Amino acid sequence: MVADGQTASGHEPTIGELQGAEDPSGTTLSLRGVHKSFGNLHVLAGVDLEVKRGTVTCVIGPSGSGKSTLLRCVNLLTPPDRGTIMIEGKEITQFKGDNLDYVRRRVGIVFQQFNLFPHMNALENVCLAQTKVLGRSESEAKEKAESLLRRVGMAEKLETHPDQLSGGQQQRVAIARALAMEPHLMLFDEVTSALDPELIKEVLDVMKELAAEGMTMVVVTHEMNFARDVADRVAFMDGGVVVEYGAPSEVLGNPREERTKQFLGLVLEH
Amino acid sequence: MEEILKEYFDLDVMRDTFPEVLAGFWFTIKLSVLAGILSLLWGLVLAVLRQTPGKLGAIIRWPTIAYIDIMRGLPQLIVILLVFGFFGELAESGLLPTEIAIPRWFGQPDPFWYGVVAITLTYGAYMAEVYRAGIEAVPKGQTEAARSLGMSYGQAMRFVVVPQAVRKVVPPLLNDFIALMKDTSLVSVIGLLEVVQVGRDVQQTDLNSSALMLGAIMFLVVTIPLARLLDYLIARQQRNEMRGGTGGDGPRPEQVSTGLAGV
Repeated sequence: MVADGQTASGHEPTIGELQGAEDPSGTTLSLRGVHKSFGNLHVLAGVDLEVKRGTVTCVIGPSGSGKSTLLRCVNLLTPPDRGTIMIEGKEITQFKGDNLDYVRRRVGIVFQQFNLFPHMNALENVCLAQTKVLGRSESEAKEKAESLLRRVGMAEKLETHPDQLSGGQQQRVAIARALAMEPHLMLFDEVTSALDPELIKEVLDVMKELAAEGMTMVVVTHEMNFARDVADRVAFMDGGVVVEYGAPSEVLGNPREERTKQFLGLVLEH
Repeated sequence: MEEILKEYFDLDVMRDTFPEVLAGFWFTIKLSVLAGILSLLWGLVLAVLRQTPGKLGAIIRWPTIAYIDIMRGLPQLIVILLVFGFFGELAESGLLPTEIAIPRWFGQPDPFWYGVVAITLTYGAYMAEVYRAGIEAVPKGQTEAARSLGMSYGQAMRFVVVPQAVRKVVPPLLNDFIALMKDTSLVSVIGLLEVVQVGRDVQQTDLNSSALMLGAIMFLVVTIPLARLLDYLIARQQRNEMRGGTGGDGPRPEQVSTGLAGV
């Protein structure tokens, strides 16, 4: 694995190159029969999902269908009750303590509520985990952070604290913060749902760019246009299971399942 | 009327006893500042221990909770007397060397140090609860963000949660400090010649309360500005929150995480 972000030839590695050289199958994430309950609420009722390296999978579905919980299970913020989750061919379901490292170094997540650290400016937000978790030096971390913030269009706001940034800007910083850890898989949990309409595009543009560069992404979203244009695969979830799965042209364009049709009918009316 | 004035505001008595009363008040200040700082630190330690996660964490969590409950439930006066008796016992039995059992460090008398210990034990528990409220007021998403970036629980607390909590708790901690300062007068029962004790001595020998009143005035000279500062800090914090100064990443009321939000 390319640990220091440099390949042998010395050129800046592309994201595709950075991802999972150790998994020959090309499957970054695989879920089999994943269950999760909160009390009596059976939120995930046996989810199967496969995400190939370098692809974008959009997860759509009504509120309460288990989409967010699914993402939170993948990086073990919410440990699943049953089933197996494999990341790059390694089962992580029972991982605890130090083993969480394996998961969290490979999986980045961006949240609906940004969750930037309010007591730090944009640059410090992106640097913190680099120095504390990856053990990079201050200057290394800063260099990396600056280049990532430039990439998400935040070069002018390095020293700005989150409360002085718009939601869209905060979300772009949050994306840079996750990317700084050089994840092999990025999870996006309704990242535009808390944004004012005019700010959604700037975040989606960053995500499109990322997808174009070959990042493996699982995107929980209500943005049907994004799913149609960017996703390689779309999974429609309802009642804690994946009801329909396939290419966007199939799932969104020509759904087979009644529930998918109903949901799309409701969403696309607007 | 004149008698009352003479009893409480006899300027001659005040003038004559001023140096003594001031010396006593100086003890009060030293005791307050030292015990205040130690309580701040001890309280933070307790608050973090109280938050220890996991099943094994209960081994640390439960004794900490018990300690905090007990200390918050006991009058400060009893704690002072117990600490005093305990150290006296240790000195007598020879379990502790005399320099520690009867401390005279930095030229301060031993009741001063017993007072520091007793007040820190009590106010550490109060302040732990204040910190706890502060820690719990930091949105859960902050810990999750830190953990998802690979930080350990300890790192998330140290670099993300506690720095934010400390900001939130400055006003309530200052409030506790004012109370602590007033409670230092209780150390007079074990013979510390602090301001109240000086006043009482004069009251008993001269049958006049003016020295005590002078001590009261000295207290107010310090505590009232602190109270004003406290109000200012609270007002400023509220203004900040009104304009969304919490960082804008706190959950909106309708989105407060119940652990089920967004499932």
